Amino acid sequence: MAEPERILVLTQVNGNEHDMASTTRTTSAARPPAAAASAAAKRAKSAGGAGTRGRTSGTPRAARRTRVSASGHDSPAAKAAARSDGADTTLGTASRNVDGKAIAITVFSTVKWPGRVWLPAVFFVGSHIPTPFARTLSRLSFIHFARWTLVREMPDNGQQDESLHYPHLYFESNFNGGWQEYIDAFSHILTTGMKIFWGTSYGFPQPLPTGPFKVYIQRNEIPASHFHSAYPQATTTMILSGLELQEKLERFDEVSADLSDEAFAECWRDLLTDVQGLL
Amino acid sequence: MAITVSTQLDLGDIQGDILFAYGNEYAFTSYLFVNLDGADGRGWVSALVDRVTTARPWPKGSDGATDKPDTTLNLAFTAAGLTALGVSQELLATFSSEFRGGMAARAAELGDVGPSAPGNWEPGLGTGAAHVLATINAKSSDLLERELTAFREHAERCATTIVNEQHAQLLDAQREHFGFSDGFGQPAIEGVSEHKSVGGGVPQPDGRWRPLAPGEFILGYEDEDSRVDPEHRLPSAPAAPLGRGGTYMVYRKLYQDVALWRETLREAARDYEGGETKLAAKIVGRWPNGTPLVTSPHEEDPAFDPTQEDSNDFRYLDNDPDGSRCPLGAHIRRTNPRDALGWEGLDEAGLLAFRHRIIRRGMPYGPPLAPDESVDDDDTDRGLVFVCFNASISRQFEAITLQWVNDGNSFHLGDDRDFLLADASASGKMTVQGHPPFFVAPQRSFVTTKGGEYLFAPGMTALAALADATESGP
Amino acid sequence: MSNTSGQAYAFLSMTPIKAGEDVRLRAYIEGLARTRPFDRLRRTHFARLVILPDWVNDPSQPKADHLTSQYLIFSATFDGPRDSYLDELGKRLAPEAKEIWGRCVGCPPSARGAPLKRYLLHNQIDIGFFVAAYPDATVETVKRVLAQRKQLADFAVRTQGLEASELRHAYQQEF
Repeated sequence: MAEPERILVLTQVNGNEHDMASTTRTTSAARPPAAAASAAAKRAKSAGGAGTRGRTSGTPRAARRTRVSASGHDSPAAKAAARSDGADTTLGTASRNVDGKAIAITVFSTVKWPGRVWLPAVFFVGSHIPTPFARTLSRLSFIHFARWTLVREMPDNGQQDESLHYPHLYFESNFNGGWQEYIDAFSHILTTGMKIFWGTSYGFPQPLPTGPFKVYIQRNEIPASHFHSAYPQATTTMILSGLELQEKLERFDEVSADLSDEAFAECWRDLLTDVQGLL
Repeated sequence: MAITVSTQLDLGDIQGDILFAYGNEYAFTSYLFVNLDGADGRGWVSALVDRVTTARPWPKGSDGATDKPDTTLNLAFTAAGLTALGVSQELLATFSSEFRGGMAARAAELGDVGPSAPGNWEPGLGTGAAHVLATINAKSSDLLERELTAFREHAERCATTIVNEQHAQLLDAQREHFGFSDGFGQPAIEGVSEHKSVGGGVPQPDGRWRPLAPGEFILGYEDEDSRVDPEHRLPSAPAAPLGRGGTYMVYRKLYQDVALWRETLREAARDYEGGETKLAAKIVGRWPNGTPLVTSPHEEDPAFDPTQEDSNDFRYLDNDPDGSRCPLGAHIRRTNPRDALGWEGLDEAGLLAFRHRIIRRGMPYGPPLAPDESVDDDDTDRGLVFVCFNASISRQFEAITLQWVNDGNSFHLGDDRDFLLADASASGKMTVQGHPPFFVAPQRSFVTTKGGEYLFAPGMTALAALADATESGP
Repeated sequence: MSNTSGQAYAFLSMTPIKAGEDVRLRAYIEGLARTRPFDRLRRTHFARLVILPDWVNDPSQPKADHLTSQYLIFSATFDGPRDSYLDELGKRLAPEAKEIWGRCVGCPPSARGAPLKRYLLHNQIDIGFFVAAYPDATVETVKRVLAQRKQLADFAVRTQGLEASELRHAYQQEF
């Protein structure tokens, strides 16, 4: 029998929130169709082809199309729902943002004029004074290391002149857990912090609702081509627990060295009671 | 802030057994996976549409009792099924990527490895052969047989093939095969089950609870995100006419090794002064009759009545922050953390958990293992047909499975997994917090996945559109 | 500028990619997942190589910002100090460095040793705000405490229910 005629067609795309559709170890990494097309054009140009610069205007439908996922799952190491936006399938393989349990996120956003003054002030305060933001960030305990910085000019290497109209905010994090939960946590729990850092970036929607915010982050995220962790199977919490455990173990060894077997067993039980939350 | 439902739920447009459970009168359920290749798929669906049970409340008889039909019928579709029915690639692209990829493609993330790997699944599941899932509930086995006969005849007439079928049946006292009363912890939904809010909703800092927005479970309605959106935008959903009134469905056939469970408990309890039953309760988070450990840590409460409004009323942060009542890694604490992921000083508890709720409608299958002293396996297939509904498979079902069941980091338990459910190949102990703590050593898995599918349960208008393949406007 | 937190250093460099080299560069870098070269730089906690084809512009911007070259972002978090780390990088990552920074504008032809270090320093971008969950722990410490934690947990499970003298003996054997 002939393949059924494709009768049901797309009449409208619900374009306000893209389902992020990926959780652990499957960070999105695809650029939006228009930007990807631009990047593809860039490569075409740099490869000698005649390409167009800047954003290409796709058809409205293409521009609003929900990201299609290829269901390819290679090895367990690849482990992510590969995302492709149809325009360029070499971009955005999410697995490259992952090493074991560690996930990388890299985000650039264009900063408005007030940000030139505001952000350095924020950085200064953050670096010198303990803030509620930093406290909550560390309580959330899924970030290993994170950094923000403002890029104002590109160092000169004899390349073609780069003159920036705007500074660009660079954000990077090395973290554990699902991408969706990560952004959700930031939106709900670090709402003020998010506004402080990204409030002066163009296009930044409010942290809540999470939908548009996730779309914003995804649009501004740059996929890593290589990501490395020295301890890929470890989470931040495990490491912090390990550090605390080490101290307790040292003390235990000191205290228990000369005890009788019975007293040692008792001391051991006390130790276990004390460290049960660290194992 | 007062939360109001801005749109009334159109119950006639939503399939049944999602928002409102059909109830325990339907002790017999069959799950039939149908393939439409080489058949008149649309004709087959079309003939069934009028018989699909909706969420509309059933009429009450003259005696005041609800007049429930003998049997119910519901339909859900895999991505392959939608394609087989003629849904265009463009329209299909508006469904979520994990749905389109299918459950088998998520095997590594879901822990479906080793014996649970899709390569070992039952025929018909995880291969793309399953197009439509027809769920038939019946009040008796005779009534079920009658429906099944009619269903099979209809399938034959339309030249469709049944590629997998599973029959399930309630056990005594609403228990599942490990002996635990099941079905608690369902979410309280605004406009639907607000009476369940205490314990079933979102915990509030002032001690109260509030119900969840319907859009967390049914597409086309406001979800929790819409609530904090000044424009009240709706969450993403498949494009019209397929999205509204529908929801995503997860089906997983889970084999339970009851003999291994009993043997493990017996072995481990030798060193545990609380005894076997208490140890089992510590692993689950409730006593076998459903009494929560948090409210009753030392013994089961024989008077526990799940129908009472406050029976599910407990939180973790204030009463049990270090797990001495209900262990930090206990099954129910993992799958529904309530306020356990927050901390003192965090203004709104439950923020890290409230968007990861699911509606569960599964059924046990297979005959019970004789409850005698021997713990020998009888080589019989028994377990749980796990079924859940959610507006987003990845944010709800998968987040629970990946972050909370198959990992312990959120609870500061490192690699330790849900001792009851999770695949044991990566091992991980169970810690029963206490003075001193008690450890249960990692085991072979008690549970093996025998097959599953990601499905979409369309609303009634969408169902009609699939059957007629008409193009309707936004 | 806060490039450090405790003993941890946050290094960031952006180097322009030679015209026409970006496709080969990307393909090369993507292959590094197999060989894990940063395992040779044992002071590295995390490292990433990211290709930035162009700035991300938002439709609400009055003007768009465009890069004339594509850029290679190299970001690493390691046990300081910076200079000795870059010395190590110039030595241990020499074969890869040629394929990576060798494809960037202004990189010395040898792409190794002191010239490479100078090149990276020239292109370093200071960090405004750097947060570290365990700022004082070196990579070695992290690995050691992780192993110890696992060892202790396994031991605790294994020895549950042992008599006092057996426990003592087992502990002495294990630790």
